[in-house]
Amino acid sequence: MRRLVWLMVFILLSVSSRLAADVVELTSGSKLTGRVTARDANAVTIEVTFGDRTYSRICPIERIHAVTIDGKREILRATETDSSPSGASTAPQPAGKPGGGPTSGPTRTPAQVEALIEEQGRTAPDWWDSVALEYPRTLDLNWPVPPPRGWDNQRNVGQYVWDVVNPNPRKWRSGVRLMHHLLAVHENHPATQRRVMNELGRMYGGLLEDYARAAFWWRKAEVDRGDAYLGNGVRLAECYWRLGNKQMALDLMSRQRPQFAMIKLWGDMGETDLALRLADANLRGAYGDLAGIYAGDACRVGGRNELALKYYQRVLAVRVPSQQAKARVERNQQRARANIEAIRLFQMLDLSRVPDGAYRGNSPGYAGQVFIEVTVRGGRIESVEVTDHQEKQFYSAINDTTRKIVRTQGVQGIDATTGATMTSEAIINAVAKALGAAME
Amino acid sequence: MRLNVFLPFRQKAERGLGRRMLARLGPTWEHAPLRRGIQGACLALFLWLFFYVCWPYTAQPARVWGGWLPLRVDAATGRVFAEAEQAPFEPVPREMVVYVSDLGSGAPQPLGAFRVVDAGGRRLQLQPVEVPKAQRLDRLMTSFGPWSLHEAEPGAWPSHYADELAAKETLAAESFLVLDPLVSLSTALAGRCWVWSLTCAGAVLLGCLVVPRGFCGYVCPLGTLVDLSDWAVGRRVGRLRVGADGWWVRVKYFLLLAVLAASLLGVLLSGFVAAIPVVTRGLAFLLAPLQTATERGWHQVPSPGTGQYLSLALLVFILGLGFLRPRFWCKYACPTGAVFSIGNLLRLTHRRVASSCIRCGRCVEVCPFDAIKPDFTTRATDCTFCQTCGGACPTGAIQFVPRGTRADWKQPGAPPTGNPSTGETTIGRRGFLAAGVGAVAGVGGGLAAASAVGRGPFPDDRETRFPVRPPGSVPERQFLQLCVRCGECYQACPNNVLQPLGFQQGVAGLWTPRVVAEWSGCEPSCNNCGQVCPTGAIRALALEEKRAARMGLAVVNRRTCLPYAGREDCRLCADECTAAGYEAIEFVRVGTQVDQHGNPVEGSGFLAPVVRPCACVGCGLCQTRCYAINAKEKGLLTETAIRIEAGPGKEDRLRAGSYVERYQRRQRRGSHAPGAPGRAADGYLPDFLD
Repeated sequence: MRRLVWLMVFILLSVSSRLAADVVELTSGSKLTGRVTARDANAVTIEVTFGDRTYSRICPIERIHAVTIDGKREILRATETDSSPSGASTAPQPAGKPGGGPTSGPTRTPAQVEALIEEQGRTAPDWWDSVALEYPRTLDLNWPVPPPRGWDNQRNVGQYVWDVVNPNPRKWRSGVRLMHHLLAVHENHPATQRRVMNELGRMYGGLLEDYARAAFWWRKAEVDRGDAYLGNGVRLAECYWRLGNKQMALDLMSRQRPQFAMIKLWGDMGETDLALRLADANLRGAYGDLAGIYAGDACRVGGRNELALKYYQRVLAVRVPSQQAKARVERNQQRARANIEAIRLFQMLDLSRVPDGAYRGNSPGYAGQVFIEVTVRGGRIESVEVTDHQEKQFYSAINDTTRKIVRTQGVQGIDATTGATMTSEAIINAVAKALGAAME
Repeated sequence: MRLNVFLPFRQKAERGLGRRMLARLGPTWEHAPLRRGIQGACLALFLWLFFYVCWPYTAQPARVWGGWLPLRVDAATGRVFAEAEQAPFEPVPREMVVYVSDLGSGAPQPLGAFRVVDAGGRRLQLQPVEVPKAQRLDRLMTSFGPWSLHEAEPGAWPSHYADELAAKETLAAESFLVLDPLVSLSTALAGRCWVWSLTCAGAVLLGCLVVPRGFCGYVCPLGTLVDLSDWAVGRRVGRLRVGADGWWVRVKYFLLLAVLAASLLGVLLSGFVAAIPVVTRGLAFLLAPLQTATERGWHQVPSPGTGQYLSLALLVFILGLGFLRPRFWCKYACPTGAVFSIGNLLRLTHRRVASSCIRCGRCVEVCPFDAIKPDFTTRATDCTFCQTCGGACPTGAIQFVPRGTRADWKQPGAPPTGNPSTGETTIGRRGFLAAGVGAVAGVGGGLAAASAVGRGPFPDDRETRFPVRPPGSVPERQFLQLCVRCGECYQACPNNVLQPLGFQQGVAGLWTPRVVAEWSGCEPSCNNCGQVCPTGAIRALALEEKRAARMGLAVVNRRTCLPYAGREDCRLCADECTAAGYEAIEFVRVGTQVDQHGNPVEGSGFLAPVVRPCACVGCGLCQTRCYAINAKEKGLLTETAIRIEAGPGKEDRLRAGSYVERYQRRQRRGSHAPGAPGRAADGYLPDFLD
């Protein structure tokens, strides 16, 4: 009898929990019914049962139309806002998430980050055994600094890494193995060891995007203590952020001397104001071009295109010095010009400012210029036509891409046609140029 | 037993509608419509094979549908309900198997193969092809998309050109070429090897025992074209007509002799005179460019060279012979026809005339092959069994019967000629002389061509000395012996990578295919040239084999290449190579600048291409791009800075065996070059750091 009562209670409980099931309504229109176990500013976690399995699904907040928890329905975002989904998906999105990691990826507590770094940093990556140790026989493993006898990328380790390993993704892993090999070779040379560890941090982080191991080796190199070695302290901070803890990154950066690399990292982390403050202080200095570029990039990431344009314009205004800095300034000005054009053409394209008419544009495709003509009427793209081209493999790009542009009413977020990527991109760029030039 | 297929003669008054319409088409249609019908069908088939099956551009790369969001997964069945952000332009076909890729978390994650159960508008239902394992089901459940649906497995080597040809080849594209017995006979003799099409030649020769020379009368598309041109042009000009008899009537035997003699000496001449290669190549050089121009634009038509003009002149000449007599080429000069004429000696059936012949002469009048002697009996080696005479005979005296059929046949030499020798041109002194001259000319020409092999008029020019051959070509010497110069590969090759040589390699190389990488590169997804080659000069490689077959090696010109020359950044060749999947071009930074501490200046110098010989197969895509953009479009260079070179050590030409194995061997060697120390590697974490 007692068992029966318990059974009744159990059934009642389970029924009531069924009745009070939580619901997450997604912007796509589908619903998830189950039990909401967690909710924060970024996501809602809901446990869903299918058959005999229970799944925990983390729904990003921007995908959620409404949540119903304990019978209370709350609308988070109207579904109609998603009127131009493809356009929105490629536009740079505000990256700022207080206390969180990068836009995609998990958030971790400091303890979790520490544990991850220790655990992964002490074990070899899964590709370890499949990659052979390779380097030219002529390489001088003593790695003297400065290297004797000028530039020889087959003899000097640093130059080999710079010229041969860095440019070739296929060689990155064997480059890492070479560094581990050097670590063993220089067992009794702490100075060289430190150099190797720094290089390991750079390779794991900058090349392989293996941030846990990068952080491990940078910490071994003690870049977080005292003077940052070649600015690697900022790179370590980036690892913390990428691993899911922004505060650790901010703290580490606050302990270091201000560096240009910080402008970029703050920008990427969504701390645009911090980034701009540092940039502004340096705009008139000897490295004003660099500061301007980083500041512009930070604005772009933060979605502030007008401001980005201003910074890039300032880079263009920097007077080109006559000596060794000349090449750098010229390179940065080239970048600034390219970025200005990209912003003008793609991110600031406003069809309502394009007067009615037919506009021509061209852009290099696979085998030559692709010429297009785009017709605008009443703020709408009426038609896009390829008027001339020299392409070989155009498959359906010529019709496909032009139709997509008309349907999307824009040039952002259009997939290239399979097998004819270059032709597709040429059409998109040419249309962007034509419309950009026509914009009032 | 009668083998008559002609329509029996009818008096005008009795003719029905069908008869009258046939009569309108002409006497040959009226008397033997079946033959004309088959002829037309064969020509249509030939054109269909050439202009549709061989035309590669119906191929489309595997499709991808992006932007799908999963709505609901049924845990019991794994059935997935998904929705697109926008309705796709091209609806996802029902019942198609698609490979789903999850793009939601950085690198694309494969979710497996699904069958499209239902699709319409923005909605889609997918059923897993096989029941997903727990891990995959978990991933499926927890995925939020976006998903992309792939027609082919993502990351798989593309195969759309190869697949398309295979799908279209319900009948092999080279069918007519392999039916031409001279093609296989001469190539087998010249190459001194078994040529697979000999079996087809044997079959057609056997068939022609029953329908003697039926190939010429019914099947040969060149013959039908000659018929057409005679009807359209030839018959309107009477001034050039010659009689039925003369020294020329045996030219075909001399040509055959010359071709076979030259073949014995290892020189292939059949490409000049054998019926099907001549007509195929004629179409490849005359109508195929027009097809390209109308379907794809004039800019896609390579400008013709000596080879093309010569081949066209040959075709025009052959058609022009129709001014002398109808089907002059076929009757008197075609060496392929000569093979059948000789085969006719063993014929099992023949045309016979009954003694009821009234000697009206209508048969002689209608016979398109001059196969009826003045006494109305048959010139056995010439009769193509077209049976037009049978339909024209007002008394039904002409019969087509198995040999040895007994009846009241007309005797040879019976009136009107009364001459037992029947007025035939005997071989005679002149004939012997002509035969001798023909054979000597053939052999001499062959020898001249043979001596020209590999010596070309420009011996210093590497490019003409070692032309880059199609992937899977047999070794050069044998290639020249086997390539019948039919031109089928030109039509099957997407973007005309293959173009004919002129005289750059001497007569020996005339019309043989070579890769013109300046024009276009060899498509990774295509193996068409080997599939349509009738003689095996280009081996019919499977796509996996073809993509490992090394036709040449890309060589960077370090004096002109833009980064090496310190002029500007350029990564066209490497990007192209990576996109194609070969990954045979790497970078090295050149011209790095150093600051006062000896550290490299960030961003200084240029990334310059380095070819990995172990991975390069010589497809030429890099060259196409370098030339098209840097030389033609931007005018930065006068010629390409990366070029495919063939020749010893730079190409693999295997008569048999696997290219894949060879490629893997090269890879293994290549991965340890240059200068890998080969010592045991150290551990990840040195002991002193633990």
